[in-house]
Order: sequence, then structure tokens, then C-alpha cells
Amino acid sequence: MTTTQTANDYHDRQRRNVRRTALVLSLIAAAFYIGFILMSVSRALR
Amino acid sequence: MAYSDHTAAHGDHEHRPSGIWRWLSTTNHKDIGTLYLVFSCVMFFVGGLMAMLIRMELLKPGLQFFDPSLFNSLTTVHALAMIFGAVMPAWVGLANWMIPMQIGAPDMALPRMNNFSFWILPFAFMLLLSTFFIPGGAPAGGWTLYPPLVLQGGNSLPLAIFAIHLMGASSIMGAINVIVTIMNMRAPGMTLLRMPLFVWTWLITAYLLIAVMPVLAGAVTMLLTDHFFGTSFFSASGGGDPVMFQHIFWFFGHPEVYILILPAFGVVSEIIPTFSRKPLFGYSAMVYATASIAFLSFIVWAHHMFTVGMPLAAELFFMLSTMLIAIPTGVKVFNWCATMWRGSLSFEPPMLFALSFLFLFTIGGFSGLMLAMAPADFQYQDTYFVVAHFHYVLVPGSIFAIMGGVYYWLPKWTGHMYNMTLAKWHFWLSTIFVNVLFFPQHFLGLAGMPRRIPDYATQFADWNRVSSLGGFAFGLSQVLFPIIIIQCVRGGEKATNQVWESAHGLEWELPSPAPYHSWQDAPTLATIEHGAEHGNTM
Repeated sequence: MTTTQTANDYHDRQRRNVRRTALVLSLIAAAFYIGFILMSVSRALR
Repeated sequence: MAYSDHTAAHGDHEHRPSGIWRWLSTTNHKDIGTLYLVFSCVMFFVGGLMAMLIRMELLKPGLQFFDPSLFNSLTTVHALAMIFGAVMPAWVGLANWMIPMQIGAPDMALPRMNNFSFWILPFAFMLLLSTFFIPGGAPAGGWTLYPPLVLQGGNSLPLAIFAIHLMGASSIMGAINVIVTIMNMRAPGMTLLRMPLFVWTWLITAYLLIAVMPVLAGAVTMLLTDHFFGTSFFSASGGGDPVMFQHIFWFFGHPEVYILILPAFGVVSEIIPTFSRKPLFGYSAMVYATASIAFLSFIVWAHHMFTVGMPLAAELFFMLSTMLIAIPTGVKVFNWCATMWRGSLSFEPPMLFALSFLFLFTIGGFSGLMLAMAPADFQYQDTYFVVAHFHYVLVPGSIFAIMGGVYYWLPKWTGHMYNMTLAKWHFWLSTIFVNVLFFPQHFLGLAGMPRRIPDYATQFADWNRVSSLGGFAFGLSQVLFPIIIIQCVRGGEKATNQVWESAHGLEWELPSPAPYHSWQDAPTLATIEHGAEHGNTM
């Protein structure tokens, strides 16, 4: 494998990891937002 | 394209737009860091002006200048401006400037989002501050926005809530960017346990932000729907529960305190080893202590609500879990002292601010322990003792650490040394008058003076006068800070690359001023190890 390929692979992998981490963190934030509203709804319905 | 070619191609983008367009469109982490820091400084003075007005009103008993409603608006917006406008953006600004340079990354991982997360902030604060000019005035229910009080205010509620949503969105985007950058953009060889403490504390802070800012957003959304759409989340008459809001708010609010202070621990852990000319004592213990504090911050929220009423078992749980925080915090204070022990200390402005932080933050920590005791808290709740406590944590705690951090890294940013004499004047005036301002508030609180009142019984007059005079002097002395920074930006003695003779870390391997694009070629392992040699001992 040439140096060029290695560097490109490294950057591609890094880009994929950046996207994946950002997506997971956004989903966690959304879950906390919706989760607390749902928790309050269920409490108000009790 | 080879790796070096790839980075050279990036180098072609060294040119940057000039004028206002540069600042509006920039995706460069240093530019965005500067924007955050300038914004934070402006909000510090806006919030500070409100603090001066509050202290002016409290200089003497009786109503002097403001009607009680405006006074309450001033306390509410002062808190929101200082927390969300001054301290948090300052930390994000420092993170933007320093994290890529410290981990050997060319920029933040998500540069466009970085630009967006900054530029929504000025609009958020324009919305918030504009509420002073609408009928009914700015929100006056306190920064905690407790219902039903906050729902009884004027027309400002939706604007304030929208502003809080924008601030929250900005913080969440900033936090995602920090985590993604640290987890994916570290130079090869920069292992997690080689990272500087500032990066570690910010990583942990960013996780806290992602967990709790959406909770605040959820809480204020429910307030909004209660007010305008007839829901009853927090309305007892409709089957809701106003105390539920307090639980949700403080589930956000307590970790928020650590969001404001954990990066301060990071900055102080960078400064003290440099000016002690010794490695940081107990690097890994510092990392674990920070993580422990962050974890504990999620299970202590109801210590803000002891007097609201809760089962005895819950009171005991929240009392003891709060006291547990003293252990990892004590580890940190011990390690900073042990770092200085037998060190070759020198007292440049960053070190002076770090030492002041160490003493005065510890005072705030001790009064926090007193407040953690449920039976004692029934006496202290909603008095000036609480005001003194959290101002000791946030002013000589967070804000002094921010100032120490700025004085530490400013020569690296500008390429010039600043006026040391003036900076020392800034330090001494700040340290003396912050105590004159806030220490008497302990006495006022213990004597029973309630917080958030524009008038008070005459027995509190003497210490209020002292506190107000200290406040005016502290406020005036802060004018030195932008003067010193502007002087430094415009010129001065040329800074060396290392700036401070015992500074270690990747940022000090870069030229001063740091180039517009740094670490386009990742640092070598030898450079990383050299940087880690004295800073981190793993």
C-alpha cells in the first residue's frame, strides 16, 4: 500500500468517525429533550 | 495525493477574507475562539453593569432608584447574562482556541457548525436584552424561572424562552464539536492520558452539556406550552406539579454549575505546573477526580430544594451525595498544593489568578458544604449566604480562572507580551475588592437578609454599604482587563514560542503568534512526548 493510499484511508476513516460520533451525540441530546418531556407528561397524566 | 500534498493543498487556503465578512463567514477555530471571547467580554460588562445597578440600589436601605419589579428583572437578567453570555462563551472561546492546538489537530471537527453555534448567540442575547424595552419589562422571576411566578410576568416570557432555546442549541452544538474533535482529531500518538488537563476537563464538561442542556430546553418548552397552549405540566389546577419543574430545572442546574467550573480546574492545572516549574502532581488522579465530580453532579440536584419538602430518606441521600463531592474536589486542591510544594515558584499574572482561584474557590466550596447540610440549609435557604456562596464559586472561581487562562495564552495568540505591571494591578484590585464585595454577604445571610429584595431592614445597612463599595471598586478595576488585552493585540515585546520558561504542551511548540492554520501536518510522536514530558506524567 502506498503512502497516498494510507493517508487517504486515514482521512476517510476520520471523516466517517466524525460523522458517526456527531450523529450519536445529537441523538443522545434529542433523547434527553424528548425523554424529560415524556416523563412530565406521564406524571401529569397520573 | 500524498499526506503532505494534501495538507499543502489546504495551505492554499491560507488566504482569508478581510473585514466583516471574515468574521461572519469564518470557520477557523482561532477566529471563532476570538469571537466567543470578545462576545463573552462584552456580556461580562453588560452583566456587570446590571450588578453595579443592583449594588447601587442596595447601597442604602429603602428604595433608591428602581421599582421592585425592575430590580427583580435586573437580578434575573444579570444571572442569565453572566452564566450563558459571559462564562459559558468564554470557556467555549478558550476551547476553540486551545483544544485543536493542544491535541495536534488542524481545526475543530465541524467548523461550519462551529460558526453557526457562535452566530446564534448574539441574536439570543439581543432577544433577551430587548425584553427590558417591552411592556411589562424583562423576566423578573429569577434565573431559575420557577412557575407559577414566571408565568405571571409580562410579555417577555416567550422572548426569554426563545433566547434560552437559542443559547441551549448553541451550547449543545459547541459541546458536540468539542467531543467529536477530541475523540477523532487527536494527532497519532496523542493518547487520552497524554492530553492536557484543559482538554480532559472540557471533554467531561461537553458530556455534561449534552446531557443537561436538552433538559433545560425541555423544561422551558413545557413552561411555554403551559402559558400559551393550555397544558398543565406545572399547573396544580390542571393536575400538574410545580415542584416537578424545580426537579427538572435543578437536574440541569446543578451540572450547569460544574459546566462553569470544570474547565477552570483544567486551566488552573495548566498554569500551576508551569509557574511551579514542576510536573502536575497526580495527573491521572486529576482526570478521575474530574470524572467523579461530573458523575456526582447528576445525583445531587435536590440539595437546592431541601425546604420545598421531600422524604427524610431523600434529604439524607441528597445531603450525603453532595458532601461526597468534597472528596474529588479535595483531591484536586491537594494535588495543586502538592504541585507547588518545593517548586520554584514565580508569580506572573496567570499564576496570581490561579492562586487566588485556589484560595477563594475553596472558600466557596466550604460554604457549599455548609449549605449541603439539610438542617442548616433551612436557615440559609434564600438568604445572602447562598448569594455569597455561589458568587465565590463563580467570580474568583470561574471568572478568575478565565482571566488567568487569557493571561496565560494571550502572548501565544497575539505574539506579544502584555503589560505585566498593569496585569498585576488588575489582579490585586480584583482580588482585594472581590472579597470586600462578597465576604460581607456571608454575614448578611447568616443574619437573615433574604436574597432578591431591593429594600431591607436597617440592621443590614452597614455590611450592604461595604459590599456595594467593594462592588463598585471591583467593577471599575475590571476596565483594566480589556485595556491590557487591546494594548497586547496592538503591540508589545515580542513573545517567544514557549512564552513561559517552563510551559510544556503542544501549543508551545507552535510559533507565537500561532499561525492561522496550525498542525496541518500532525505533530510527530517526539514533539508530543516532549510536550507531555512535564505537563502530563503518564
